[in-house]
Amino acid sequence: MTWWQVILSGFEALKDYIALHVLTCLIPAFLLAGVMVTFISREAIVRYMGAATSKPKSFALAAGGSFVVAACSCTVIPVASGLYYGGAGVGPAFILLWVAPAANILALVYTGTILGGKIVAVRLIAALLMAFAVGGVMSLAFRKEEKARAEPNPSQTTQVQTKVMKRPDVILLLLLVLALLAPNYIVQRGPYYQKVIVWAVGMALAFGYAFLTKTREEIGHWMRETWWFVRLIFPLLLAGVFVVGIIGALLPEAWVTEWLGGASLRSSFLATLIGAMSYFATMTEAPLVHKLMGLGMGAGPALALLLTGPGLSLPNWLAVARVFGVKKALVYVPTLIVLGTLVGWLAGNTVLR
Amino acid sequence: MRIEILGTGCPKCQATEQIVRKALAELGMEAEVVHINDPRKFREYGVMFTPAVAIDGQVKVSGRVPSVEEIKRLLAT
Repeated sequence: MTWWQVILSGFEALKDYIALHVLTCLIPAFLLAGVMVTFISREAIVRYMGAATSKPKSFALAAGGSFVVAACSCTVIPVASGLYYGGAGVGPAFILLWVAPAANILALVYTGTILGGKIVAVRLIAALLMAFAVGGVMSLAFRKEEKARAEPNPSQTTQVQTKVMKRPDVILLLLLVLALLAPNYIVQRGPYYQKVIVWAVGMALAFGYAFLTKTREEIGHWMRETWWFVRLIFPLLLAGVFVVGIIGALLPEAWVTEWLGGASLRSSFLATLIGAMSYFATMTEAPLVHKLMGLGMGAGPALALLLTGPGLSLPNWLAVARVFGVKKALVYVPTLIVLGTLVGWLAGNTVLR
Repeated sequence: MRIEILGTGCPKCQATEQIVRKALAELGMEAEVVHINDPRKFREYGVMFTPAVAIDGQVKVSGRVPSVEEIKRLLAT
């Protein structure tokens, strides 16, 4: 194959992607992300997490709350550090650090539209199980340090008064999730224009509702935040898809089947390692996994890559080490690599077989 | 007047600094603008989500990029 053909397959992938995904997947997804940033009080969520006193409760709150704090592995670090140094336990802080990039609503819904509902359900459950395991391991490994740390400051923890979300915001959020899901689930096999019709109805409902319940200024905020997501993530997504197209052309199918196929422990470990080291912005993991699965990657390794891809990366390891200390990073990262490998292997041999 | 921009150096934080400078220029005001990227300092201010803008030690905007108009309004009061 000549280099020209290789480049061409990159553009080919880009063309398919733009034709099929931009309108019905990405536009609602970015609007949804904008709503989450504008109308959900993330501060309130993080305060709730910090205020929980018992361990099971704080773990559950951290895992649940992280679903709506959509973030890449890089932007979540200051949030987790704020939580930790604000008095929350080491467990919840690292749960947030893991769940917010690995399994937020945005990434899950987007994975669903590309890879189907089943693997998303498994991704969600696996991410939660891994979150609890990581929280447990971190609390156990640093239990002495945890005891020595000052008790949470009560004046800070009683300030939980701000509401996380008002009801109209919840409805708007749900309408957008619907607009994102409906075209890809209702019209699974029909022609593309049917998807567009379903999409248009969904968008009209969401916008109609927004104009009825929101002030101009709020809508302005929402649009600006949405535009930020477009500016930050869209170029990365396009670059990602282009690279994926090239990888698809260069990588022999036999190689993918050999090293990432099936459901062996080795494939799962390799997939985890790729995911844990390379940087994926939220959502970019889905097209890569889609392509690799087309080339023969097993469902188990695919799950492992979906989980560790956005959640971990080399820059993220370094940042965690800098903010939380080298020792915590040395426990956190290997724990997730072991868990990712095991989860991919187990799921590949059971639910995803 | 001292305006602090709390950010991690992310694109949104850079944009916030630009917007603050633009608002100052449009109002014809002079102020000391500093970019703070030390997470410990964020905690002192109680800021969790960056970017944030603090004017004379008081956090005015947090977790989003403000508009030029918004900063002008804050500076005028």
